[in-house]
Amino acid sequence: MALAQGGVGTEAAAPTSPAPILEVDDLEVAYHVYGAAPVRALKGVSFRIAPGEILGVVGESGAGKTTLSRAIMGVVPAPGRIERGRISFLGTNLIELEDVELTARRGRDLSMIVANPRGELNPLLPIAKQIANVAQVHLGVAPPRAREMALDMLRSVAIPDPERRMRAYPHELSGGMAQRVVIAIALLCKPKFVISDDATSGLDVTVQAQILELLRTLVREKGTSMLYITRDTGVAANFCDRIAIMHQGEIVEEAPTGDFFAGPEHPYSNLLLAAFAHDPALRQRWSAVAGEAAPEMTGLGCLYADRCVRREERCFREHPALRPVQAARFVRCHFPVER
Amino acid sequence: MAILRYLGGRLLFLVPQMVGIVLVGFILIKAVPGDPATLMLGPMATPDSIAKLRGDLGLDKPVTTQFLIYLKKLAHGDFGTSWQTTQPVLEDLKVRFPATLELVTFGLLLALAIGIPLGIVSAVRKTGFLAKLGDSYGLVAGALPDFWLALILIYVFYSVLGWVSSPIGRIDITMVPPTATGFYTLGSLLEGNWAAFRSSIQHLVLPVATLGLINAGPILKMTQSTMQRMLQSDFSEYERLCGLPERLVMRHALRNALPSVVTIVSVLYGFLIGGAVLVEIVFSWGGAGQYAVQGVLNSDFNPVLGFVIFSALFSLVVYFTVDLVYLAIDPRIRH
Repeated sequence: MALAQGGVGTEAAAPTSPAPILEVDDLEVAYHVYGAAPVRALKGVSFRIAPGEILGVVGESGAGKTTLSRAIMGVVPAPGRIERGRISFLGTNLIELEDVELTARRGRDLSMIVANPRGELNPLLPIAKQIANVAQVHLGVAPPRAREMALDMLRSVAIPDPERRMRAYPHELSGGMAQRVVIAIALLCKPKFVISDDATSGLDVTVQAQILELLRTLVREKGTSMLYITRDTGVAANFCDRIAIMHQGEIVEEAPTGDFFAGPEHPYSNLLLAAFAHDPALRQRWSAVAGEAAPEMTGLGCLYADRCVRREERCFREHPALRPVQAARFVRCHFPVER
Repeated sequence: MAILRYLGGRLLFLVPQMVGIVLVGFILIKAVPGDPATLMLGPMATPDSIAKLRGDLGLDKPVTTQFLIYLKKLAHGDFGTSWQTTQPVLEDLKVRFPATLELVTFGLLLALAIGIPLGIVSAVRKTGFLAKLGDSYGLVAGALPDFWLALILIYVFYSVLGWVSSPIGRIDITMVPPTATGFYTLGSLLEGNWAAFRSSIQHLVLPVATLGLINAGPILKMTQSTMQRMLQSDFSEYERLCGLPERLVMRHALRNALPSVVTIVSVLYGFLIGGAVLVEIVFSWGGAGQYAVQGVLNSDFNPVLGFVIFSALFSLVVYFTVDLVYLAIDPRIRH
């Protein structure tokens, strides 16, 4: 198993590429539930993000996307634990940092845009106070200055009538407004790196488009790098520079966005795209063989083997490594789809 | 503006609420077997004299008529007379209700002073002495009878250690009780009577400790469970994600937990007016609860009804105040 988890970190380093903002190397996170075997949510995930780059992480529910984002932020939810690996942010391994230090960086140097922001904001504090709190804590500014910054930030995320919204409470905001507030908080301290965890999934399509446009502008203006987590391959296609497909806690394919959508190589990537294509015939083509009983998984082979249409005997025996197939393109499959 | 209208509506609604409470109280008391006339005249009374007294008291009239007469008198501020104390009930309650209120108020303040900090600590820390204390306290306090704890406290602090004066009444019997406010502590302070103040404190310590120690249990449990929920809630997680220090996250969680704590305090406050009666009896406190229980045992209707009305009014005032507190805490209710 360990052998199969080749780190992309080293392989991906092209000699000309600038030093990455974030480098995740062989990250493993497991949830320890009392009386049961630990559940490995991330099984040796590796990737790197260059300055100003947007990496899209796409996968179905339970693929480990949220665990990945929380692990990078240093707040793995309760029974979860980082088992091994490295999360190197501007050269510092975040996993080795003291809590105090990590807390100070979180929200300042790297920040996160959450989904369902109306449920995430403190219901008893006005918006202004919640934004200003972050400014006061991270930038050490006085309350009046923090308020000014909050107002400026609300303007830059294009909230209409920002003076009035400053006094509003979370329950008085629409979903789109609350999303903008959360973006304002995330970008307030001009972080080098932002994670968006399914941030626009709860919004209707028009608002989603506006928010994405806004995010893209803000990110491009400030040269921020981004990890964009989503289930929506369409959004990822339009928004990200590179795509990584996650399946059961592993990255199974990683490629520049254009190359990826021109021809996904992993069978799972193809199924994922087919699912979004609303084409039953296409979906059928990539779904597991009907009528055939699902083969028994040995735990040694490819994690996708039981659902795969291209599986061979070897897939059950040997776990595939994430291997380069072209420049900056990786796939974790013994029999990738060739184009 | 909408808030004022809401509050005005609440105040207006108090009147039918009170009438309803008096009606229910009246019916329940009449449903309890027992004839005051028989008890008043004693075992040697003749049936004729009993019948005559029943007529004088209006007990021979239909219950509805009796109720209307009672309501009419009540409207003029007449709560009737207690045949046991031979005093107007209103006069009795003017002394006894503040006695209970003073006891219960200080008892609850002590309960809050114990329950909230311990609740917070045991919610925040999973291990350590204070966390264990918080966990076991809720269990123990819920299992102890208050009168038993009162007796233990008397034994230890009066009989053995002799730290407090004799646990009878609210003040040394040789002293003239202060009249202002009905609270002996406040009254003696206002009159500048230090001896009376010291004596009233001495008499308060043990019953207040009893009520405080027992009632800290539910307050602790409520604080602990709500705080735990708030600290794990999405907004607390988000504040941590934003890198706010844990102290600030805790402060915000506490504010979100406050409404539940206020609720349990208001429920306890209303409940203890009558519920502290065993403690009152142990300390011969002469409070409203004791007065009402004596009334029930001796078919003395007027004190019982008077007590019901007083404590109902008190509860309604408490709940009304609690609504104001909610309004101040939670912006979501203001709509």
